[in-house]
Amino acid sequence: MTEGLKLTIERRDGLAVIYTEGYINNQGGEEIARAAYSLLDEGYRRLLLNLTGTRIINSIGISILIEIIEKMLEVEGRLAFCQLTPTIEKTFHIMGLAQYASIYPDERAAMAQLTG
Amino acid sequence: MSQLEAKASAALRAELDRLAHEVLPGGRPALQRLLPLFAGFAGDAAAVYLQGEEGLRREASAGDGPFPETLDELPAASLAFAGGLLAWSPPRPAAELPAEAAALGLAVAAAAREVQLAHQLRVQDFEARARGVQIEALYDVGLAIAGTLDFERLCEEILMRAVSLLDARRGALYLRDGSVMRLHRVFGGEAAESLDPDAEEGRELLSGRPRPSCCALPGTAHLLGVPVEADGVVKGILVVGDKESRRGVGPFPDGDRRTLELLANQAAIALENAELHRESLEKERLEREIELASEIQRRILPKGVPEVAGFELVGWNRPARHIGGDYFDFFPLEGGARLGVVVGDVSGKGVPAALLVSTLHSSLRLLSERMSICPELFVRLNRHILDSSASNKFITLFVGDIDPTSGELVYLNAGHNPALLLRAGGEPARLGPGGLPLGLMPGVSYRAERLVLEPGDLLCLYSDGITEATSGADEEFGVERLASLLVAQRDRPLGELLAGIEAAVSDFATGQPQADDQTLVLLRRDAR
Repeated sequence: MTEGLKLTIERRDGLAVIYTEGYINNQGGEEIARAAYSLLDEGYRRLLLNLTGTRIINSIGISILIEIIEKMLEVEGRLAFCQLTPTIEKTFHIMGLAQYASIYPDERAAMAQLTG
Repeated sequence: MSQLEAKASAALRAELDRLAHEVLPGGRPALQRLLPLFAGFAGDAAAVYLQGEEGLRREASAGDGPFPETLDELPAASLAFAGGLLAWSPPRPAAELPAEAAALGLAVAAAAREVQLAHQLRVQDFEARARGVQIEALYDVGLAIAGTLDFERLCEEILMRAVSLLDARRGALYLRDGSVMRLHRVFGGEAAESLDPDAEEGRELLSGRPRPSCCALPGTAHLLGVPVEADGVVKGILVVGDKESRRGVGPFPDGDRRTLELLANQAAIALENAELHRESLEKERLEREIELASEIQRRILPKGVPEVAGFELVGWNRPARHIGGDYFDFFPLEGGARLGVVVGDVSGKGVPAALLVSTLHSSLRLLSERMSICPELFVRLNRHILDSSASNKFITLFVGDIDPTSGELVYLNAGHNPALLLRAGGEPARLGPGGLPLGLMPGVSYRAERLVLEPGDLLCLYSDGITEATSGADEEFGVERLASLLVAQRDRPLGELLAGIEAAVSDFATGQPQADDQTLVLLRRDAR
């Protein structure tokens, strides 16, 4: 199983996609937050978190994702998620993330909505 | 706030109340609008601190004042309110602040309090939801009892659920392997390869409060371990390490042990179910394998007997299990001018015996195409069987080569039961025992024997499953009974004679399990 979190960022059509691989915990969440805030500073207001390589997340990671969502809402931006495992998607719904951020089954569906 | 309250006129307070509740949105936006106003009346700068888990933390500030992120000591000019502190700069006593600042200070405090209450509500909501996730996860693992039968996937799922539910940084799942617990899955770093649950370290780990030096997860400062136990049997150990928070890692609180135990209990049942499923799949696979091997052997054994002018032939085989170690065959020699007949018995039964039968069948067929039935053929077969079988495997084999025209029979016997020859009108005679079984030892020599089957002569080849069939009185069927049946029914068609022997053997061993494969081959030269 993967240790830590590996991030890959792609910028396209005014939208940034952050790909995660590994555990979204305190350290992993902080890394995502740093990347997201850096993208905000670059002027990106639409972010997509593609969790295709992530099978595990804990409550600290979730609390950091909530902070990122709040930050995005403050600047009238938008954060969306895609490629969630059923367990993580269920967790997002219970934790209330789904109320403030869109969840898409895959990147194509997310891009169609975010760039449309 | 009493000094500020005293300063604030009723009219101004009413106006600020309207401003705070009707014009401005509440909470953080109100705080961000009101604080700069307050700073302007109170001096150059102001800040609001809210009480958190780690003390007073700056929530908002306005202007350029000496307001650090967290407070180690009270600022020179400040006033406390429920759950927080309002500070301003340059420092001067609250009593000297203008009435506008006093009134604005009340509104700032109200907005800050709202921010704090909203934050507390969010924390409580988050914690309630996190508990919901825990309950859901326990429920999910319970569902997996019925749903996930993939053992390896289940182990991974259990470990990941444990790590994520307890906000652990690392984890490991150990499963019982004899007297030790063997590492089966690890997450987030290295783990000890095995644990002895009865040794001091294992007992300490399961006590719930192991020392940081415990080797289960090297490098972790805090460990929590629980047994994976079903029906009083400890099947494994679930270990998590280093509880995470926003400040770093720390020990696991008492409640986490109960959560991990609940998860481990569910996991134990799920693992047991998956293990049973795995065993059932393995059994199914073996049965399929046996069925396949059985099919291969059925194809090796002749489906019928060849038509040979001047001879009547029958052959029959009844394996003791699905797959037997007996073998018989008829095959053409010298382009069909002569007839080959073979009866063999491989030591043992089941798949290994069937595999050796298959080896014997193909070797004999190949060799007999290149050479006659002679001692050299048996020497080569012996070498081949020795090379291709386990050391404790051997084959007894009788091979005959018949010239249908002259009735000449050339035969070799490698340790097989002596064939019975019943001359027309004569008594049964045993054909010589021959050499050692094939595959027993290298360098064995064999001798070919010759005789002529006269019209009406009957040759009986059989395996020891016939003569060693045992009755309820623990008596063997024996060669004599077989010979007597041959004599008594010598004039019947061979199909009927064979059925008679088969029935007699079955009747003799009624109620007894068939201990060995049974094979019978009968040949009779037509009477003139």
